[in-house]
Amino acid sequence: MADVKNKKMTVPEAVRELIKDGDMLTFSGFTIWRRPMSMVYEIVRQGKKNLHLVEVNSGTHGEVLIGAGCVKIWESCFMGHELFGKIGANLNRKLKNGEIIVEDYSHVHMVMRLAAGAMGVPFLPTYCALGTDILNPEYDVLGKKGLRDGSNPRIPTEKFNYQDDPFYGQRAVINVPAARPNVCIAHVQQVGEEGTVKVMGQRYSDNEAMKAADKLIVVAEEIVPEEVIRQDPTANLIPHYLVDAIVEQPWGAHPTGCFGYYEVDGAFIRDFYSKTKTQEGFDTWAEEWILGCGDYNEYLYKLGFNRLDSLRANAAMKYSLRVKRGAR
Amino acid sequence: MEWKNNFDLAKPGDFKTLDLLAVAGAREINDREIVFAGTGLPMLAVSLAQQTIAPNASIIYEAGSMDGRPAHLPASVGDARCEHKASVSSGLMDVFSQLQRGAVDLAFLGGAEIDKYGNVNTTAVGDYMNPAEGARLAGSGGNPDINSMARRTVFIMVQEKRRFKEQVDYITSPGWRVKDWPSGKWVTRQEAYGTAYRGGPVAVITNMAVFRFDEETGLMYLDTVHPGATVDDVKASVGFDIDVSRCRGETKLPTYHELYLLYNIIDPEGIFVA
Repeated sequence: MADVKNKKMTVPEAVRELIKDGDMLTFSGFTIWRRPMSMVYEIVRQGKKNLHLVEVNSGTHGEVLIGAGCVKIWESCFMGHELFGKIGANLNRKLKNGEIIVEDYSHVHMVMRLAAGAMGVPFLPTYCALGTDILNPEYDVLGKKGLRDGSNPRIPTEKFNYQDDPFYGQRAVINVPAARPNVCIAHVQQVGEEGTVKVMGQRYSDNEAMKAADKLIVVAEEIVPEEVIRQDPTANLIPHYLVDAIVEQPWGAHPTGCFGYYEVDGAFIRDFYSKTKTQEGFDTWAEEWILGCGDYNEYLYKLGFNRLDSLRANAAMKYSLRVKRGAR
Repeated sequence: MEWKNNFDLAKPGDFKTLDLLAVAGAREINDREIVFAGTGLPMLAVSLAQQTIAPNASIIYEAGSMDGRPAHLPASVGDARCEHKASVSSGLMDVFSQLQRGAVDLAFLGGAEIDKYGNVNTTAVGDYMNPAEGARLAGSGGNPDINSMARRTVFIMVQEKRRFKEQVDYITSPGWRVKDWPSGKWVTRQEAYGTAYRGGPVAVITNMAVFRFDEETGLMYLDTVHPGATVDDVKASVGFDIDVSRCRGETKLPTYHELYLLYNIIDPEGIFVA
């Protein structure tokens, strides 16, 4: 168990000490909301390789890691930037070039996989997505590539399994295998000094992702005194003893949004998406915004006060009332 | 012109196709229904229904909010705006479990390709196992889950011959005739789902027409055509033999009141209706 007294790390320390080449990773957030971008950029800076992403859905963070060549296997159900980019251009290019392996499940399958991991059971049953090609054994990509031979303990030996209902005679269920990532990297609003995690707003699949992983890195907008965060334990999501590292990084989810703190930076993501249409475009973008910035604070200074201020959430409404979102 | 209290049908030229889609979507919703909706047109449709014919409809966003009443239109389901005045805000495991448990009456979904039985593809165009030659789409997201477990599903899509296909390249989301895995045998949706069967796709709303499905055969047929298009236009934009014999005529137009709500109350910032 991690040291209760001293979990504080910097972003570079957390990446260096807790993430290894070849690790299976998962993340907090939902598409373009509350993604741990400060850590994602640092993973690119440190040149981590052969990562295996297992996530309920992906988004801008996944496209950064994939574009930078950090990812070997991606298991999920969705890649895109919502209104600001309809698909994952880096993922598509790398898939076409045979540089990445993609395994498709459905949204419920992925949530259930992480829930099973979080509950410590090997699988969970569902009825979702019956009759679809997601279940087609010819489309079991990891299996077809010979990766379900049991040699990697984090890759299940089957993509799906079916089981009759032994209790009520209902239709047979689909069993989905537990996902057991090495590390979950989460970005949240607040964490206590000992690691108690508070997530504000919709919690997406944070609970399952954070509890499924062997190690949990929590990046927070603010580290707060442990006794303060414990004044309202009902509002907290993760107990301190499940947390291995805590990092304070204000604006650490930019350009994705953070309920109560700041808006999605749609213009930034739209520009990123347009650059990802070629590898050269992505590389130039990464040179400017990741490698050209020594650390995340330098990135924030480069974005500038005016930009960040327009994204800053109104304290009463929990989102920005000033950012221009539409045509009017 | 005063549109707020004008309940007349709008003249062609006074509205855009997107407005018509939102209005047609809203008219699929009954009061008190629980609706599972995604980003964009579904949000507009449900918000419009709540302001008109279905004030007590509740919306679930898959990111985890239940019956939010946003003061500002969310731009995606993960948006901080979703949970404003919500009954409960939690996460995916909760709302998808409610869906699987049978809480959801109606779902709005999109798709890149659809076949005559309502099977939808949002995963990849071309041979799935040969990605070098094809093109990957956004992926399934919650599309198959929501469509599996809601009582009724309405798809909102772009009308193009290459999208309305005899067979889709990859079945992401199940229609009325599906493959029963692990055997791969084509069966009816009712057979495939057995005791878990609850319903399925009831309508496809496009920029050109509204389609529905025959209860016996599971086949798509033309229900109404939007003003400006003809039955022949629709036939030319469908890649399979479509039954047009049951066409009821023209899709009901938006009223000026509905347009007023869309542009002034629901999406005044012009995020979707611009």
